[in-house]
Amino acid sequence: MLRPLEHLHKYCKRANRTATGGTGELPGVDYAGHRSLRSRLGWCVYTNTKYALIFCLIGLASAFAQEEGAGPRRQGGTREFLGLGAAPDHAAAARGEKLYKPNCAFCHGEKARGAEGPNLVRSTMVLHDEKGELVGPLLLKGVVDHGMPAFPNFSKEQIYDISQFLHLQVELVANRGLYKRLNVVTGDAKAGEAYFNGSCRSCHESDLAKVATKFPAPDQLQSRFVWPMSRGKRKVTVRFDRETITGTLKQLDDINISMTDSNGNFHSWPVSAVKVEVEDRLAGHRALLERYTDAEIHNLTAYLVTLK
Amino acid sequence: MISLLAVALLAQGLDPKALLKPPTDTWPTYNGDYSGRRFSPLSEINSSNLDSLALEWFYRISSVGQQRGVGSPTIKSTPLLVNGVLYFTIPDHVFALDARTGEEIWHYTWQDQGGHLVGNRGLGMYRDWLYFMTPDCWFISISAKDGKERWRKHVADEKMQYFCTMSPLVVKNHILVGVGGDAMDVPGFLESRDPETGEVQWKWNSTPRKGEAGAETWPNPSSMEHGGGMTWMPGTHDPELNLIYWGTGNPNPVFAGQGRKGSNLYTASIVAINPDTGKLAWYFQPSPHDTHDFDNVETPVLFDGMFNGKPRKMLAQAARNGIFSVLDRATGESLVTKGFVKINWMKGLDGKGQPIPDPAKEPKVDGSLISMPGGGATNWPPPSYSPLSELFYVNAKEGYSITYLTDDDPEPQGYGGGGAGGLSEPVLLAIDYKTGNVTWKHKFPSGGFGNAYPGVLTTAGKLLFTGDPAGNLLAFDPLGDRILWSFRVGAMVSNGPSTYMLNGSQHLIVGAGDTLFSFKILKKGK
Repeated sequence: MLRPLEHLHKYCKRANRTATGGTGELPGVDYAGHRSLRSRLGWCVYTNTKYALIFCLIGLASAFAQEEGAGPRRQGGTREFLGLGAAPDHAAAARGEKLYKPNCAFCHGEKARGAEGPNLVRSTMVLHDEKGELVGPLLLKGVVDHGMPAFPNFSKEQIYDISQFLHLQVELVANRGLYKRLNVVTGDAKAGEAYFNGSCRSCHESDLAKVATKFPAPDQLQSRFVWPMSRGKRKVTVRFDRETITGTLKQLDDINISMTDSNGNFHSWPVSAVKVEVEDRLAGHRALLERYTDAEIHNLTAYLVTLK
Repeated sequence: MISLLAVALLAQGLDPKALLKPPTDTWPTYNGDYSGRRFSPLSEINSSNLDSLALEWFYRISSVGQQRGVGSPTIKSTPLLVNGVLYFTIPDHVFALDARTGEEIWHYTWQDQGGHLVGNRGLGMYRDWLYFMTPDCWFISISAKDGKERWRKHVADEKMQYFCTMSPLVVKNHILVGVGGDAMDVPGFLESRDPETGEVQWKWNSTPRKGEAGAETWPNPSSMEHGGGMTWMPGTHDPELNLIYWGTGNPNPVFAGQGRKGSNLYTASIVAINPDTGKLAWYFQPSPHDTHDFDNVETPVLFDGMFNGKPRKMLAQAARNGIFSVLDRATGESLVTKGFVKINWMKGLDGKGQPIPDPAKEPKVDGSLISMPGGGATNWPPPSYSPLSELFYVNAKEGYSITYLTDDDPEPQGYGGGGAGGLSEPVLLAIDYKTGNVTWKHKFPSGGFGNAYPGVLTTAGKLLFTGDPAGNLLAFDPLGDRILWSFRVGAMVSNGPSTYMLNGSQHLIVGAGDTLFSFKILKKGK
């Protein structure tokens, strides 16, 4: 066991040291296990028995937290994560839709969510089917006792196509990675402009003139202005003894601070030995979060989508 | 000689009575004991000797590789420590290690046919047998001695999008198993199974069926039969009251509530159930008609103490919806209901002390801002209650996010919406159970909590162990926002730390990502 590093060098130029963690990490993303054990142990050989209060202004961005039940956002990743099995055959589903609508929709609903007949999206049989091997026999024979007629003339190919249409309906419900937001531009653009002039323009005089071109999807634009997901590089000032170093923050926690200076040199200190100030470029956004009404957000969106 | 040998052969097993005592030389269940307090009476490790708390060994999972849909293995389970052997899990895998050295004794592997590999909380143990839930909801009995499978039972259908992550809870001769799964509007349930045969002893549905009590809180039978209410975290147990306490998950469809008007019992609730019969004794619903994925499965923590001058048997929960509830656990009477973060989704409390949700803050097509990060104010990582400080500790998240309705059909299905963007700031909170007020708060200066963030352990050594987002294992002073010790484990602590006596020394064990770390006090001359 190494003893606490009470007297770290003033400068720790260790360009070859592997950084672990770091502010480049997106909050809400689990980085566990992505680092080599060597680098871990390279960092964890000392204890810190001193803790000093540091003054820092920090803005933290967050991706949509990938919490239990929420799952990853990437579409392919969500399917894999959910264990939904093989993706539906979209071409077959399009052919199947033409068979489904005239033959099945009047009982099972346009989206197979059920009407007079049962919901097929939640059907155990459909969820166990892959390529029509379970759906097919039922279609060919019908369920006469329950009022479902037989469709003895469907070919093997047509049954496959109908099964894929059903699997696509399941996919659209179960795979939340595919969900599309509906219309978010519901606000009053004029009211939004007035709000912008009163609350935003002091920081954003001209840089948002084409923001709707940069973020063409209104829902993304709305998310972006409510809380920017990326803070970009954060300026940090570290003071110790009689020296001050300014640069880009790399990592800040309760124990350590690391940064790169304007020459690209890496430095790190125990936070107990220095005073740290981190620029918060999102202070204005943070203040607005405390005040926004939903209507103000929608009005701002309606205005910002006009800035092309 | 023969009798000594017999004792040695029996030594692998766990006497179920061990679960009735605070953990010292064992950690025999997910929370250490039935109370869910995660408070250890051990004090060998304390503020006077933290300088000597050192890494003894680490064990890295190197034989598994990337797991489907989730990447590198992450240890979310709390290991069981029984007779010098540690038993822990990740999805599809069970490991037995020598607690003294970290040497692997055996490794059980399951090949799933579906389900989510989002996490696994660990194992239940009854005498010589371990109980494990797989992602595709097989309930498996494994020999503690050699990791050989005894039998398997299918608890739920993974094709219906059920998945299982919980550590089975052993109560007398009942093994309690719950399920997860909210992608396809399936109903939740809790089962008691026989420890020897795995057969069902009773099943409790977390949503009523037609004509049953609670059905009046749903618009029609179909909505409750597809209403969710998963039971994916282990509950707690009061042997004297003969009740188990369970948190139930969100209703379905998750974000789209227009097809399930009503409070949607018994989803997003705390329920008290007789472990012998499966009958509901009482319920309390912190999120009536939830539309924000406020799974209410966070640990219901049991402790006794004074409340308004009277001794009470209490239950406290810090829930994902940001509400701290204290109940009389004999009756379910509400004592405290208070936000531990800013709350803008409710209008007030009903006569039972339950929040009244504000319809204006339900997810909207054009977005609705809630004063909570995506994923809520906290999640499954275990909290702790210390009877010394009389404070409840939980890692939480403060911030804002927007929730959207993406399925505006009168009969929506699946999630039907979701959250987006937002501000999420990680904090450690100490809450006074008598008022619900936050007594102290530590703001972690950087990073965010993902889906596998640190649980909390408190000890009679007057210490609080947890982790930060940057990959430090930390010891706090439970009485104030003061860090006393740290050790860089390099990845965020991803389970609840635990502690036990082994060979005369107190050990601290913690999982961070794919690695388990064991610490103890280094003694001079040894």
